[in-house]
Amino acid sequence: MITDRATYLDIIRNGNLVGIDPEQMLLHGPTKRYVDKYLWHSPNKGIVTRYSPTERDVEDHFGIFRGVDQVEAFAQASTVSCATFLECRKLNCTPAELKDMFIPAFISIGNVNFYNYLEYGDTFVCLGNITFFKWRQMACSGRIYKIPRGFDVDDYFSDFTEERLLKYDISKDFIQVAELFDITGRAIKIELFKKPE
Amino acid sequence: MERQEILDGLLEVLKTIRTIDPARLVGVTEETDFLTDLSTPSTELINIAAKVEHKFDIEFDDDDIDHMGSKVKDIIDLIIMVKARSENE
Repeated sequence: MITDRATYLDIIRNGNLVGIDPEQMLLHGPTKRYVDKYLWHSPNKGIVTRYSPTERDVEDHFGIFRGVDQVEAFAQASTVSCATFLECRKLNCTPAELKDMFIPAFISIGNVNFYNYLEYGDTFVCLGNITFFKWRQMACSGRIYKIPRGFDVDDYFSDFTEERLLKYDISKDFIQVAELFDITGRAIKIELFKKPE
Repeated sequence: MERQEILDGLLEVLKTIRTIDPARLVGVTEETDFLTDLSTPSTELINIAAKVEHKFDIEFDDDDIDHMGSKVKDIIDLIIMVKARSENE
């Protein structure tokens, strides 16, 4: 956990999300935060995250991580995390300071196709491509893959590249679970969100 | 630039928006609402804004889009305001 503001701002200006605790980027949580770790991040291109569903995540749903939660996980991983990072860079502020100015809102979801399922004990990665970012609105498309048990996924993505992200050039041992298009979110000014009646 | 001239240019932009039924563009006025009258998806407003930038050779700020209303007249007002702002810079 980074507690020094100057260090944090330096990372935002010159670095990326790898090494940042998702708790410090996302408003969500703790029970509704679906990012355990940022594995790879290129601020203007995209991101890779991992998450392992908890017992609570699959409760009352046949032990399966719900499809809608996969969409939420992908949105948190891609649109919310990447847009928060870029907006902090633009405004030279930390995510905690950004939270006092904006609320992240879901704007739309494009096509989502599911190919497999995730259950308690599984680990999955979200690969998100930024397809649009302007006026505090971001759209991302990408895929979710299930990782073989025991696989060192953190190490695997340590030397990932933009080219490989664009081609989904990853291990054939990964099982594609979903493909998502145009997951779109927007940072809305708090004063616009809470207009007096 | 006159408002009618801007409206004509805006209609040209709207004809290129895939999610807007061209039949609904007949009789568009400044009071026409993108969301309720043209059934434009909320995400499309950003695409329209991007095309309007290109069409009218202007550049919107984040704050311009934050405060943009959903009626045709709101976009026309915004174009006039941003054009005036750029001329004063």
